[in-house]
Amino acid sequence: MSKPADLVQGTLDLLLLKILALEPMHGWAISLRLRSISGDVLQVSEGSLYPALHKLEQEGWIQAEWKQTENNRRAKFYALTRAGRKQLGAETANWDRLSSAISQVVRLSET
Amino acid sequence: MRIERLWSTTRLRLRSLLRGRRVEDEMNEELLFHLDHRIQEGIASGLTPGEARHAAMRAMGGLEQRKEEIRDARGLRLLTDFATDVRHAIRGLRRTPGLSAFVVLTLALGIGMSAASFSGLDGLVFRPYPVPRPDDVVSLVSTTHDNRYGRFSWREYADIRDETKSYDGVIASTFPAAVGYSPGPAIVPRAAAGMMVSGNYFRVLGVEPTIGRGFRDGEDEVPGRDAVAILGDGFWKSEFAQDPAAVGRTIRLNGAEFTVIGVAPESFPGLQIFLRPDVYVPLAMASLFSANPQKQFFVDRDDRQLSVRARLRRGVTQPEARSEMALLARNFASEFPQTNRERGAEVDTPLQMRTRPDDVNWKFLAIAFGLALAVLLVACTNVAGLLLSRAHARTREIAVRLALGAGRFRLVRMLLTESLVLAVLGGLSGILVGHFALTWMTRLTLPTELPALPPFQIDGRVMTAAMALAVLSAFVCGVAPALQSARTDLLTGLKSGDATPIGRRRLWGRSVLVIAQVATSLMLLAAAFLMDRGFRQSVSEGVAFAKDPVLLARFDPRLIQYDSGRTRRFYDQLTDRARAIPGVVSAALSANPPLTLDPFGAITFVPDGFEMPRNRDSFASLLDTVDEGFFDTVGIPVLRGRGFLASDTEDAPRVAIVNEQLARHYWPDREAVGQHIRLDDAHGARLEIVGVVKTVKYREGSEKPTDCVYLPVRQQPAPRLVLMLRSNGDPLALVAPLKEVVRTLDANMPLLATRSYEDLYRYHAVEGPAAAMAFVGSLGVIGLILAIAGLYGLIAYNVSRRTREIGVRMALGAKPGDVLRLVLRQGLVLVGTGSAIGLGLGLSVERLMNSMLFNVGGVDLTVYAVVVPSMLLATTAAASVPARRAARIAPTEALRCD
Repeated sequence: MSKPADLVQGTLDLLLLKILALEPMHGWAISLRLRSISGDVLQVSEGSLYPALHKLEQEGWIQAEWKQTENNRRAKFYALTRAGRKQLGAETANWDRLSSAISQVVRLSET
Repeated sequence: MRIERLWSTTRLRLRSLLRGRRVEDEMNEELLFHLDHRIQEGIASGLTPGEARHAAMRAMGGLEQRKEEIRDARGLRLLTDFATDVRHAIRGLRRTPGLSAFVVLTLALGIGMSAASFSGLDGLVFRPYPVPRPDDVVSLVSTTHDNRYGRFSWREYADIRDETKSYDGVIASTFPAAVGYSPGPAIVPRAAAGMMVSGNYFRVLGVEPTIGRGFRDGEDEVPGRDAVAILGDGFWKSEFAQDPAAVGRTIRLNGAEFTVIGVAPESFPGLQIFLRPDVYVPLAMASLFSANPQKQFFVDRDDRQLSVRARLRRGVTQPEARSEMALLARNFASEFPQTNRERGAEVDTPLQMRTRPDDVNWKFLAIAFGLALAVLLVACTNVAGLLLSRAHARTREIAVRLALGAGRFRLVRMLLTESLVLAVLGGLSGILVGHFALTWMTRLTLPTELPALPPFQIDGRVMTAAMALAVLSAFVCGVAPALQSARTDLLTGLKSGDATPIGRRRLWGRSVLVIAQVATSLMLLAAAFLMDRGFRQSVSEGVAFAKDPVLLARFDPRLIQYDSGRTRRFYDQLTDRARAIPGVVSAALSANPPLTLDPFGAITFVPDGFEMPRNRDSFASLLDTVDEGFFDTVGIPVLRGRGFLASDTEDAPRVAIVNEQLARHYWPDREAVGQHIRLDDAHGARLEIVGVVKTVKYREGSEKPTDCVYLPVRQQPAPRLVLMLRSNGDPLALVAPLKEVVRTLDANMPLLATRSYEDLYRYHAVEGPAAAMAFVGSLGVIGLILAIAGLYGLIAYNVSRRTREIGVRMALGAKPGDVLRLVLRQGLVLVGTGSAIGLGLGLSVERLMNSMLFNVGGVDLTVYAVVVPSMLLATTAAASVPARRAARIAPTEALRCD
């Protein structure tokens, strides 16, 4: 699976879960949201978005439903499941631990 | 919540698997949706539609790759690949229907034979007792020098039950035996399988009656008090039509009234393998059922009729139980030296009990299973050979696949799937083959007194085993060709269509295999022919009497407590009145009519005035006790002297009649009539031989001439006798009037087994030999089929390997006929060598069988005159198919690839 070089391993899952925690949305909307919230710092290739979504669906963390968009087109909407919400909590905690550890290390080296 | 998630993911996976097309469509739609929006976005920012489309695709980074990644993400790769492979394999196999059918057939024969013999082995050895926690149940046996598997007496059982600490319960039972059963007092009893059990039998085994109750522990304590019975499930269904009101009803067993208190469940057909008990009664009723009326069941420590089993207490090991039993046996020996000196005790698991070294049945089945597995292995080798030659022909296809980027592991998987499909088809047809083989085998009903139920069936266990064998054979016959193909070297494979040449050694091995197959199948076919001829000849003499219209009916007045005087009066009246039945030509009594399947009587004797060899004091012979009408009724001619007379009574001088075999054996150059023999030993009663009768077959149709002594029933009383009625029409028409006669004599007298002599004749002279012959013959035919398969595979492989060489030959001017001869010659050499060896083997087998089974004498060349040419013909035909294909090779075609 091709991963963007500048995205820390596993963070794409966290980002997707976080975005879907706000509201159910379809792939295109997710890609727009990704672009807007992270600006150009996090380059997520649009291609790797869909395999990641399907993987999360297989894991049972999100579930998909075909619904009409505001433009009256059929689109696949993804929504967080209860298991997904739990997973999000776990991954967020994980991320906090990791990032605080890393920032401590970084600060250490500066002093 | 976990469950919920599991359910949703499983549903997804199932959906991807079953609705693959639909899932694929949805994936495309989703990606298209994204691309459309991206293109719109591009156009809005000022790109041309073409440029926008291009940019969108680039952002996606390769649409097809993404789709593959999504399919991978859905985690069904292996499964969908497998489904594709299966479809592909089925298509491929349908392109070569002949070859596929052949492979499936050989595998089906191998698997079917294995399944059939495994079913037998499972029934005899492996199937656990039909009780809860069957592994805890052990057998306790009494041991002596001669008998490692002895039974216990009631007194011994009671001591074991009370004094051992290793068990959660010790139970005792007799072997199921014929009892006279009748539903009411006015009805003539018939034989049912009755079994005496201890009061705790059902409780300790953990078997709950379907209706009613089991025995109570106290119900086996007071002799004769508790006349209660539990019905077997099958008996309840056949006799009481599953009526729940059967419980509480009164039935009569051996003339006494019993109250039915329960019905054993369907899941518990008893612990015996061949017999299903119809009725269980408490041991306390032993006086009615004892097989040994001279002994006192509850008193004599040596009246050993009981099989004792026990449930091991949790945590107690078999060695611990064994040492406890050994100690107890030593106590018995010192306390009761008269009955228990030199007597030990052992604790055996069911498996140990069922694989007794003195039992031939399971050994025979184990050997048959081994043979069947060998057949399967050979079949697999042949299939591997066929697949190998096919793989060879597909070198180019494989090389192209490799060149297009197929992984080698993926390729091996694809090729293995092909053999798996073949093997599964073979396994399914094998189950069918096994089913037919078993139906055919169990079609023969044994003419025994109680119905014998062979425990052979294709059940879940056997089917699982068959399919496991199928999968195993898929690997055995698929791995080598698959690996071989996957090793294909890309360059040479693409260029020439020739894989790396395979060493001569492997071909040599396969040639030897083919030769061995030809040889053994020839030998087996010859043996089958020989058995046919041997049986015909052997059966043509000495069993002809059994074709006559004679009815046999067995009685045992001991079952209803007749003493010897009453027994004699009963038989006198019975024969008198039976003679008066219209249609009866003559009537007779015999303890062991020839060819009945009951154990034959034996006698030890000393011929008077005979020089005994130093190492023995007596001779043994078969013994039959008969009345004066016997020889006429059966149709055994008296050659010299006289038959028995009504005047040969207790008070008259003791007499005997011997068969011609015995007469010639002991008085080769003298007249046997007028000689004397002594019973038991040189000091026994002196009997005058008054007649010599023709030698017949006594135990089986194929037995060799055997000595036999006849004693008059009036001088040598026997309680268990068979009444024989010669009829002038259908013997079975005499059954009803005979029953009426018996009823007028004693309504409680059980009529144990009635059958016509013709039944026995058919069993011994027609169906039995046919079964034995068919077994050997079908092995021979299967061997022949395998040999043909092996030969075909080998030659086809060789032809495909030598395609180029053949092309060169033809380009240089060889005619198709030359090529045909070249290929055929190889086949003929193999078949010829095999036939020569098979001929040698067949001749020695023939000599062996002649000396062991039949006295056919001499070598019969007609067998080989039939078998050898047909063998040559069949195998030549097998070789000619690939040979003809080789001859059709166009030189241009064969050479172009370089």
